Amino acid sequence: MALVLLLVGCGPLGLRRQPAPPGALGAENREQPALSGDGRLLASLVERGGRSTVLLQDRRSGQVLPLPHLRDHQPHSAPSLSWTGRYLALLIQQGPHRQAVLQDRASGRLLPLMLPAGREPQRLSLAADGRRIAIELLDDGQRRVELFDLSGLLEPDLAPGLRQSGGGEVLP
Amino acid sequence: MSIARGMVLQRRRGAALLLAVLSPTLLLTGCLGDQLRPLPGLNQRLSQLGNGHDPALSGRWLALIAGQQGRQQVQLIDLERGLPVPLIGLNRPDSQPLSVAVDLSGERLVVVRQREDRTELVLHRRTLMATERLPIEPAGVPRQISLSADGRLLAVEVSRGGIWQVDLLELP
Repeated sequence: MALVLLLVGCGPLGLRRQPAPPGALGAENREQPALSGDGRLLASLVERGGRSTVLLQDRRSGQVLPLPHLRDHQPHSAPSLSWTGRYLALLIQQGPHRQAVLQDRASGRLLPLMLPAGREPQRLSLAADGRRIAIELLDDGQRRVELFDLSGLLEPDLAPGLRQSGGGEVLP
Repeated sequence: MSIARGMVLQRRRGAALLLAVLSPTLLLTGCLGDQLRPLPGLNQRLSQLGNGHDPALSGRWLALIAGQQGRQQVQLIDLERGLPVPLIGLNRPDSQPLSVAVDLSGERLVVVRQREDRTELVLHRRTLMATERLPIEPAGVPRQISLSADGRLLAVEVSRGGIWQVDLLELP
């Protein structure tokens, strides 16, 4: 499936619009897009068997990339990708709770991201290098954002030529 | 085939089947008990901003929507200094931000915001202090967004005629 670029007028922004790679089932709802840092992969949510399911695709070819470990844990939500898309963070359903997990596509490992008790994850944003994650939490009815360090858990997913830096925090 | 050899093969098949059924569960529970390591200094700074939601992490930058109820704004935090940076001209008293994305350099922010009776998509260039509206064609209502690390490719979730779609826009 070749990607056709459509030039949208000659507006002040010179915006170019691309069609998203089609889902396997044609016209259907597609939600919560997440691009890999390099822009090569696109994750989004589609409905499969009545349940929200993450679909990971090569943006240019439309090829769907397999995510076998996530198959039995719908509904999925809040996908977020690292630089090359090696890591996919998302929320899955485990029993009555939403669980934040991280899929390492290189090793096939599905890593649970365990949060302090009583905090329900709502949204995720994974740093492109995979060394930190920001999680929107529902805690006692209040929404707030917290940052967590993944540097001890994951190999970094670095852009070519990017220097490696620490994943913790350095504050003045 | 001897009876003993047949029983061994049957046991092996049974074990393989059991492993195939349980493997997603085993992978998911393999690291139970290891809680994520929070970044307390940064999280304390984030809590000082009030309630927060829709985080977008990119390199040393965390963009989010935060503030007290009814006075929520786009905030950009420099994680290396642990401090918010000014977003001159982006936040307006007549608009309510809904979601935000930031590129790796912290230069480009894309925001979905409610202004008067419409939902609009805008691109803010931080050092230029310039905010421009990005047209959505065909017309639709934007919601979630994702920006590639170089800030050139934007994925937008758009509602059109009751169907959620994903638009891909190349930004100049």
